[in-house]
Amino acid sequence: MLFLYIIVPLLLAGLLPLLGKLSKRLLPDLLASAAMLFLLVLTVIGARPLISGGGVIQQATWFQAPLNIRLLLDGFSLLMLFTIALVSFVVCIYSIGYMEHYGAKANYYALLLVMIAGMNGLVLSGDLFTIYVFLEMAAVASYALVAFGRGPDELEAAFKYLMLSAVASAFVLLSIAVLFAVTGGVGFGAVAQGLKTLNVRTLVGICSALFLAGFGLKAALVPFHSWLPDAHPSAPAPISAMLSGVLIKVSGVYAMTRVFLGVFGLTPALTTVLTVLGVVSIFVGALAAIGQNDIKRMLAYSSISQIGYVVLGIGIGTPLGILGGLFHLFNHALFKSLLFLNAGAVERSTGTRSLDKMGGLAKVMPVTAVTSVVGSLSIAGVPPLNGFWSKLLIIIALVQAKMITLAVLAVLGSVITLWYYLVLQHQAFFGKLNEAWKSVREAPFWMSAATVVLALLCVAVGLAFPFVVGTWLQPAADALGQGVNVALNFIGF
Amino acid sequence: MHLFLLIGLVAFSAVAILCRELLKSAISLAVASIFLALLLFEMGAVYAGVFELSVVAGLITVLFITAIALTRGDGDVAEGRAQRWVFPLFFAGLAVVDVLVMRKLLGRIPAIQGGESGSFSQVLWNQRTFDLVGQVGVISAGVLAVLALFRRDNGHGKGESHE
Repeated sequence: MLFLYIIVPLLLAGLLPLLGKLSKRLLPDLLASAAMLFLLVLTVIGARPLISGGGVIQQATWFQAPLNIRLLLDGFSLLMLFTIALVSFVVCIYSIGYMEHYGAKANYYALLLVMIAGMNGLVLSGDLFTIYVFLEMAAVASYALVAFGRGPDELEAAFKYLMLSAVASAFVLLSIAVLFAVTGGVGFGAVAQGLKTLNVRTLVGICSALFLAGFGLKAALVPFHSWLPDAHPSAPAPISAMLSGVLIKVSGVYAMTRVFLGVFGLTPALTTVLTVLGVVSIFVGALAAIGQNDIKRMLAYSSISQIGYVVLGIGIGTPLGILGGLFHLFNHALFKSLLFLNAGAVERSTGTRSLDKMGGLAKVMPVTAVTSVVGSLSIAGVPPLNGFWSKLLIIIALVQAKMITLAVLAVLGSVITLWYYLVLQHQAFFGKLNEAWKSVREAPFWMSAATVVLALLCVAVGLAFPFVVGTWLQPAADALGQGVNVALNFIGF
Repeated sequence: MHLFLLIGLVAFSAVAILCRELLKSAISLAVASIFLALLLFEMGAVYAGVFELSVVAGLITVLFITAIALTRGDGDVAEGRAQRWVFPLFFAGLAVVDVLVMRKLLGRIPAIQGGESGSFSQVLWNQRTFDLVGQVGVISAGVLAVLALFRRDNGHGKGESHE
């Protein structure tokens, strides 16, 4: 069953360019959205019960014939599958309206599906080299999606993204090669067991540094963040939502967390490095966001800042810290996707991303304005929305771990976030309506529907956070809390 | 022999980066690939050597040279002076670290015997099947990227509307 997460999007991606010849819009829209809805339902109904007794290994089958493919599912990978499926489904719905003026919808959805298959494969892998392969699969599709508009900005941003991403991949591959040379394996269990037996701390330090640089680049952690403020704004809005909402988390944060906590084991040195990088990212991203006039660029810098919170939480290493970090990862997927989709709706209606030229848009785009306010308040950590609870958990975890200075800095970062999001809201949606926008209309139905769904989820997750924590997040935090024991249980995987 | 091939590989890789002309750079890269292929043959990795020689040194070089031939020379791109010394400096630093630290360090580490065993096809088809699915995905992504970025219709007007 788990193989469906990879094979369904991959097969559909192969068929879509052909089906696109028969129907340029309806079939691609319908099939892509249906596939994502199927994976979302499969996650909730089919995959979640599988982890009731902890992690499972499932052998893939092809028409009931067993394949030599084994997939690993635990609470952490389930949370990521759920996040990917949820955001992908909403993005597909949004794309029905948004991608009309780009054309080539079949090719667009095909690339999007390959990216999703790559992320799903990465999340279900129990092997370092397979993680690398699926990382590349998602990355290659994402380069093309960033450049999809084919304007000079898009092509330049995609090229920069490709170059830095290739450097990241080289770091990751080098580290995997060294681990393979030393331990004789690339499976999580084999590497964890090998490192435990050999006791090679210096080598683990070098490999950790390489993974940190590689996955840090993918996650856009400071100081590896320079590609993101160009790549994410240049992409079509639904792709910006996918990149900021999901891809940097899967290819950066997920992979880094899996390796550091699940294979190497979190050491005090790693905790220091991750928490410091987390706090630096919070401030560099937030301070850079303040000065931005391009709405999508501001959101991109904000992503760097919010990823800092996720890494800070996970880096603490305590059960509450990990829980807070994962909760913020999930929440950020919701509100940052929402905010990018809103920015896309504004750009589509007004033709500009410049905040200076906007103003008073709430009068002509009320749905976009209301959902944008919800997203902004959520990301700033205003109670009782979802962002408040995840940030609160991280701050309590910092206090419990006696990292008081970091806790104060995390609160300060949240205040700065509230500041620049209020500025964004004021400049874009409130005040006097700019004369030029009097004829502007609300975004088309499917685009508005997607943003309303995400805004409602931000509110619902905030109000029902104990349920969400108990259902999706606690199993993920428990899986990570076991450290390398999870990997050691899967020796021979 | 190994040392000679390794020096050739590193030297031509460095020339590929330092070269000011794209054509010479692509040819240097191809020569570096040939050295790598020979190294792989020497070390008994025949399949990897064949792939390196045919795909990287052969096919990709042809693609590079074709792309360079199709590119119009609209004047030199201005490049900062820092570009000229950053790589050589980085390269020299890395070489020093490699000689002083890594060699000694790796020599002290006892490698565990094991890993994937069997013939190339057995490993590829029976033990790394999941990676093959991933490879299919990577190739699909490349093909779809070409289809999407070189499409004929241009009805979006997106790039022009950016501020």
